[in-house]
Amino acid sequence: MRLFRHLQHWLGGNGSRLQVADVVPHTHSIRQWADTFPWAPMVEAIERSFASRFPQRANGGRRPVSTRVLLALELLTHEVGASDEAICERLRTDLAVMYACGLEDVQLDSPQAHFVLPETLAQFRGRLDEALIDELLAIQAAAAMAEGLVSPAHLLIDTFPSEQGSQRVTDATTLYKAQKKSFNSWTTSHNSASPAPRR
Amino acid sequence: MDHITQQCITRTATLTSQAGALQHDLQKVMRCFGRQCRGQGKVFVTLLRQTETQLLEVGSSIATLAQQAHQALEKATHLSASTREHLASDLSAAQAAHQQISTQSRRLTQGKRLSHCKIVNAYDPTIAPILKGKSNCPAPCGRKSGIISEPTAGFIFATRVPVGNPSDASYVLPLVDKVQSAIECITAPLRLSIHSVAGDLGVNDPVLRQTLHANGILSVGIPKTVEPLNPQPSPEAILDLLNEAGLNRQRTPHQVQLACACGYSRPVVESHIASVLCRGAGQIRYKGPQGAVVQLGMTVMAHNGAAVVRIYQQRLSKRAQKFRRWLGLRRRHVNQIKSSKN
Repeated sequence: MRLFRHLQHWLGGNGSRLQVADVVPHTHSIRQWADTFPWAPMVEAIERSFASRFPQRANGGRRPVSTRVLLALELLTHEVGASDEAICERLRTDLAVMYACGLEDVQLDSPQAHFVLPETLAQFRGRLDEALIDELLAIQAAAAMAEGLVSPAHLLIDTFPSEQGSQRVTDATTLYKAQKKSFNSWTTSHNSASPAPRR
Repeated sequence: MDHITQQCITRTATLTSQAGALQHDLQKVMRCFGRQCRGQGKVFVTLLRQTETQLLEVGSSIATLAQQAHQALEKATHLSASTREHLASDLSAAQAAHQQISTQSRRLTQGKRLSHCKIVNAYDPTIAPILKGKSNCPAPCGRKSGIISEPTAGFIFATRVPVGNPSDASYVLPLVDKVQSAIECITAPLRLSIHSVAGDLGVNDPVLRQTLHANGILSVGIPKTVEPLNPQPSPEAILDLLNEAGLNRQRTPHQVQLACACGYSRPVVESHIASVLCRGAGQIRYKGPQGAVVQLGMTVMAHNGAAVVRIYQQRLSKRAQKFRRWLGLRRRHVNQIKSSKN
């Protein structure tokens, strides 16, 4: 219910509802993968950490996108090897991705523009820190150990090099930046040209 | 402040042209060495020393200018105290970065060996050259990530991305502590503990062994020589190993046998690393040390999800299945579909 309230700007509307769990088969790889995560304690840990480090100063504004959706999207980018933009696009149409994000039902006839923006995902990622990542890993490991799937009795340790990459400037990013810049300049000029409101 | 600004404007043009000319010359010479600067190292080092000397001469006035800027900032009363503090901290950070780089450059020009963690990127001093590069190739620069995993399905319990390029032995205790904290997270009445740790020759450290033994953890999986470990030690050898570790009453001979088998088949960790690398952990795309931690952490969580799916579907190797039987882990049936957690 909470997720529904967060995403009601997209999920709201008329028409029949589609039950996501009924459509996505049990044998779907993303569904099986998503079912292994202990979502509730992980989301709780993130919300607790964010509340202590980034306290909410005002109650106004639009409701934020659910942490559950953002966490699932962030994990999916690494699982399916998609970019932020690609995974946000898939969330609009791919029912398996919706299932992984915890959406129970959707109404496909409602407008879906700008459901989760890639920028929102980047902001969410920027708030994660080392302590929180360690906590999330510990929660996942504890859940697997509690179910008797893995044992910490005998462990292997190794290291591997990770090269520091750079964000390459592609045609797509250049075009995106140019469009954003032109839109910002147009908005500024439009605001300055418009007459002042009457008092 | 105006005086410094004027001075900077005039010098900026000169410095830019000088730096551009140097860069152009350097690129010309580097092109002679072929792909990735492979060639006679002696010639390259000589050239590098000459270039560094010229660059140091160009940047010699930065210290004086920074000092003047600090003095001018103190007198700038029209700026608010918070702004001045913010600018002063930025200036100090820039000054410190330049000092570090110039110290390193001077050491290089004098023909001395560089310290272990040298700066390779002026914008991110936490990046270091990794010693695990290919032979006769430039060392890759980045970070050395550490993982601790279990030997059956490759579930990774914890990760570590330290600053710089520390020794492999320094990874062990922090990673073991993280696993210990994960064990403490379990609410069910399970009595889980770490019995042994296996690693490669880089982890071989007498002090580390003593610390592990003090914590009740066997270190028989860490080799002392390049010879492979004996996967099936005799009862006498097991007793010797237990006596050596001083864990006669804490660990059983069966646990020692498992630890030896685990140490013998330690190269299986390479497949766990390969799985993480194929999910994009080989190249850090996020910014800074925090970005590296986030990327690796998320990748490992995604990998763990896939590992658990493999356990459910029993898509494990014969060796892994055998090991799971020895560890007494639950066997799942294929048709045992887990209820959704959504």
